[in-house]
Amino acid sequence: MVENVVELSAINRVYEMGEEPLYALKDLTLSIENGDYVAIMGQSGSGKSTLMNLIGCLDRPTSGRYILNHKDVFELTDDELASIRNTTIGFVFQQFNLLSSMTAIENVMLPLVYAGVEKEQRIMRAQFALQQVGLDQRRYHRPTQLSGGQQQRVSIARAIVNKPRILLADEPTGALDSHTATEIMALFDELVEQGITVILVTHDGEVANRASRIVRMRDGQITSDSRIRSQKNTPA
Amino acid sequence: MGARELFKIAWQGILSNKLRSSLTVLGIVIGIASVITLMGIGEGAKKEAEKQVQSLGVNLIYVRPGAASNASISQGQGTAPTLTYEDAKAIKETCPSVDEVAAQYNSAFQVQQGEYNTSTTVLGTDPAYPEVRNFHPARGRFFNADDMKECRRVCTIGDTVREDLFPDESPVGKQILIRGELFQVIGVMEKKGANQMTDMDDQIFIPITTGYSTLFGLNTVTGQAVKMVLARAKDGQDLQAQFQITNLLRLRHGVKTPDQDDFQIRTQMDIMQTAQSITGVFSLLLGATAGISLVVGGIGIMNIMLVSVTERTREIGIRKAIGAKFGDILWQFVLEAIILSLTGGLLGITLGMIGSDWIGRFAKWTCIVTPFSIILAFAVSLAIGLFFGIYPARKAALLDPIVALRTE
Repeated sequence: MVENVVELSAINRVYEMGEEPLYALKDLTLSIENGDYVAIMGQSGSGKSTLMNLIGCLDRPTSGRYILNHKDVFELTDDELASIRNTTIGFVFQQFNLLSSMTAIENVMLPLVYAGVEKEQRIMRAQFALQQVGLDQRRYHRPTQLSGGQQQRVSIARAIVNKPRILLADEPTGALDSHTATEIMALFDELVEQGITVILVTHDGEVANRASRIVRMRDGQITSDSRIRSQKNTPA
Repeated sequence: MGARELFKIAWQGILSNKLRSSLTVLGIVIGIASVITLMGIGEGAKKEAEKQVQSLGVNLIYVRPGAASNASISQGQGTAPTLTYEDAKAIKETCPSVDEVAAQYNSAFQVQQGEYNTSTTVLGTDPAYPEVRNFHPARGRFFNADDMKECRRVCTIGDTVREDLFPDESPVGKQILIRGELFQVIGVMEKKGANQMTDMDDQIFIPITTGYSTLFGLNTVTGQAVKMVLARAKDGQDLQAQFQITNLLRLRHGVKTPDQDDFQIRTQMDIMQTAQSITGVFSLLLGATAGISLVVGGIGIMNIMLVSVTERTREIGIRKAIGAKFGDILWQFVLEAIILSLTGGLLGITLGMIGSDWIGRFAKWTCIVTPFSIILAFAVSLAIGLFFGIYPARKAALLDPIVALRTE
C-alpha cells in the first residue's frame, strides 16, 4: 500500500467579503498518494487555485485538517511553512516567475540559498537540475534572453533543485505554444518516473490526460475524481 | 541564511537600479557632508574664540570697581573710585595665590611729536603689565620699578601710535608731548591687534605713579583710583586667587554682605565660558541645520525603499514561494537601506573633509573636523539606514505571497 503525501479532510477556505461569507473551498476532502500524477481541472472560480495554494503551504485553511508528509500544517508558524515550501514543495507557474536580474543558474540556485546550502554544492546541484531539463548550455543567460519554453524549463529546474516530494504546477503550459507545451509535459512525465509527486492545475483536457488521475472541481467542491491509468511509478 | 548571502542579495537589489540608488545615496552624501563641514566650522569658531581669550593672557583675574548706586540709579561700572592703587598693592602683597598684579588707569589725551599729533589712550600701569598681558615691547624696553619709584616721565608706545607720530624715524629716545607734558619714548610694543574691548596698539604706556602725579589729576588726597586691577593667578590656583582677592577687598572696603560688594571680579575662565557658550550655540545651530538635510536624505531613502518594495512585490512573492522566511526578506531590504546610507555616509565624510579643507584654505576660516564628528556622522548614517529602512522592509516581509505573486 502506497502512503499518502497529501491528506486534506473537511477543508473549508472562507473569504469574508461583505456580509455573505464566500466559500472558496467547501468541506473538501482529498488524498494524494506518494508518487502520483494528478491533474486538477475546473473553470476559473472553481477553487482550484485556492486548493493549489493550500497544498503548496502558501495559504492556510479556515477550518479542516491538512497533513502534508505526516505533518499537520495548521500548527506550523509562517517560517516553518516557508521552510516546507523550500524543501518539500516545488512550484512551477504559468508566468514562469523567474527573477529577471539573475542568470538561469542563479535563479535555479535561489532555493538552495534560502536553504543555507554551501556555494559549491549549490552550483553543482543547480547544474545537475539544469541538465535534467536540458538547459545546461544556457546557464548564464538571463530570462529575457530565453524563449518561453526555455524559461519554463529553468523554472522547473528551480522547482526540483532542492529535491522536493511534491511538484505543484499551475497551468504550466498556459503561456506556451502547443509544440513547446508537449516538450514540457514530457519533462513532467520524466519527473514522475523519478518518483516526484506531480500535481498540476489545468483547464486543458489534453494536458490533463497525461496524468494518472483527474480531479474535477466546481464551486469549491470536487465533482469527480477518476483514475485513468495506474500509477506510473511505485516508489519503494 | 548566512550574512554574506543576505549582503549579496541586497547588493544585487541596489545594482538592479543604479541610477535610482545613486540619487538616493546623493541625498545622504549631501546631508553628511554638510554635517561634517558645519560642525567643522563650529569647532573652528570655538578654537578661534579660545585662542583669542588665551591671547589676553593666561590665568587672569580682572578686578573692576563696582557700579556706584545713587538713589537706585546705577551709574555704570567704573564710575565710583572704589578701587584704589592701594588695593592693587595689597592684593600683590597679601594674596598668596596671586603671582603678578598690574593696576590700570587710562584716559584719552592729545599727543604731539613735531608736526604730528594724534589723540590716543594713555594707560598708566605697573612694570608687570607686559608679563601679565603677554604683550611685550618689540623695540626698546618697558618701564621698570625704578621708573615707577621715581615717577619718571618715560613711556612705551603702541605700534599704531608709532605710525601716527613717527612715520619715518625710530622713536626710541625721542620725546613726545602728552597734553603738553614732556615724556621720553623708551620702547615700542609689538603689534597685537584689537581684542573685543580695545585696539591694543593704539595706546601709550606710562608708569602709573607718573600718571597720578602729572596727567590723571589724582593724588594721595583724592585717592589714587584705578579702573582695573589685572591679577595673574599661579597655575591652577584661579579659584583660590579669586577667593583671596574677594575676601581681601571686602575686608579693606568694609563690605559686610556680598550684595554690597563695590567691586567686580571676572576670571579668564568666566570669559572663556561665555565665549564657549556662544560658540556652543553657534555649533548647535549649524549642526541642527545640517541635521535637517540629513533627515530629508533619510526620508529619501525610505521613499525609495517603499517604491522599491512596491515595484518588487512580485519578486518578493517568488522569493517567499521558494522558501524565503520573514527574516530573509526583512534583512534583504534593511541591508539595502543600510548599504545605501553607509555608502552615502562614507562619501559624505570624505566630501565634508575636502569641503572643510577648502573653507580653511580659501575662506580663511579655521575649520576643524574632529574624530568625534566623523564617528557621529558614521553612526548617524547607519542609524538612518536602519530607521528609515525598517518600515519598508517590514512591509515587504509581511506581504502575503499569494497576493504578491498575483501582482503584475
